[in-house]
Amino acid sequence: MENNLISIKDVCAHHQVEINFIQSLEDFGLIQTKIVKKTTFLDTDELSKLERYLRLSQDLEINLEGLHAVSHLLNQLQEVQKELNSLKNELNYYKQLH
Amino acid sequence: MDYIDYYKILDLKKDASTDDIKKAYRKLARKHHPDLNPDNEEANKKFQQINEANEVLSDPEKRKKYDKYGKDWQHADQLDAQQQQQKQQQSQGAGYGGGGYSSGYGGEDFSDFFSSMFGGGGGRSSRNSPFKGQDYNADLQLNLIDAYTTHKQTLTVNGKQVRITISAGVENGQKIKLPAYGAPGVNNGPPGDLFIKFNIADDPKFKRKGNDIYIQEDIDLYTAVLGGEKIVETLNGKVKLKVPEGTQPDASLRLKGKGFPLYKKENQFGDLYIKWQVKIPTNINTEQKELFEKLSKL
Repeated sequence: MENNLISIKDVCAHHQVEINFIQSLEDFGLIQTKIVKKTTFLDTDELSKLERYLRLSQDLEINLEGLHAVSHLLNQLQEVQKELNSLKNELNYYKQLH
Repeated sequence: MDYIDYYKILDLKKDASTDDIKKAYRKLARKHHPDLNPDNEEANKKFQQINEANEVLSDPEKRKKYDKYGKDWQHADQLDAQQQQQKQQQSQGAGYGGGGYSSGYGGEDFSDFFSSMFGGGGGRSSRNSPFKGQDYNADLQLNLIDAYTTHKQTLTVNGKQVRITISAGVENGQKIKLPAYGAPGVNNGPPGDLFIKFNIADDPKFKRKGNDIYIQEDIDLYTAVLGGEKIVETLNGKVKLKVPEGTQPDASLRLKGKGFPLYKKENQFGDLYIKWQVKIPTNINTEQKELFEKLSKL
């Protein structure tokens, strides 16, 4: 581990996953790796994403296309939740006025 | 500790085949998987139940034991011992052990019922690999004035003290992530994260909308008509404001950059809006009344 970077090799050994899986996730734009001195790394945020995709892939047998769709919908959900929170706060402001 | 009907959880009949169990598990897991239901405690709990039911029913040995003892599971060991004694066997059954399963998405281990019947914390045959520890969630109550300035606070999460810096401008309901402050990882996996949600209490005077602050200030009728000065308290001190002549009730004034700080944007602030509330005098004396009558006839 280098600061917040974890080598792909370690991740694969740790999770018993093929490097191809990580490469495919990257090809789909689902995670981003970093190359430092010819070694490929993941940072900790990307590791969390990878673990989520691993769980979905192993628990629910979701393929890469499915993971791509899930990721897109989860991002949308997150945006909607943020907007909902902001609207709730605004509604609360108007409630306080009356 | 109550008996858990695993068949009911997976909506299966007692004679369900392995394939039926697998299908039922997949169907429910797709619906309640915690990764597909972020911040949904109910889904998380439901998924644990589904997982536990699948763990038992998809394992022939566990299923056999579960089916054999059913509601008498509490006496399973006792019954086993009796039977084995009858068969004059020395060894006693029960207890499958299990290897440290952790869900990795904020879940807890299997139920007490499961542990009591099968021992240990379960163990998913497909995944005994290292795994990230459980994420923790905590709520932090703040008042509006606290949220106005960057400050440090110490929280106690799962018995551990965590000192955090709260940046000015944090919003009600906003969540922050403190990486690696969650539970330790399983099988040398990385620790989980700590998520802190801020609950900001309403302030009786300052009303917040986004980064703007709204207040109401009283002025008397004479100041509204003739104009004057008014000292107004803002979030960062008092300011003296000029009230123009002929100020109408509910007229608003905007003080640029006197509102709430923008989250993690240094020296950027919203605006402060002041609404003038003109107070009409009551209980006026005879002289005042005469003067108002004179004014009305002018």
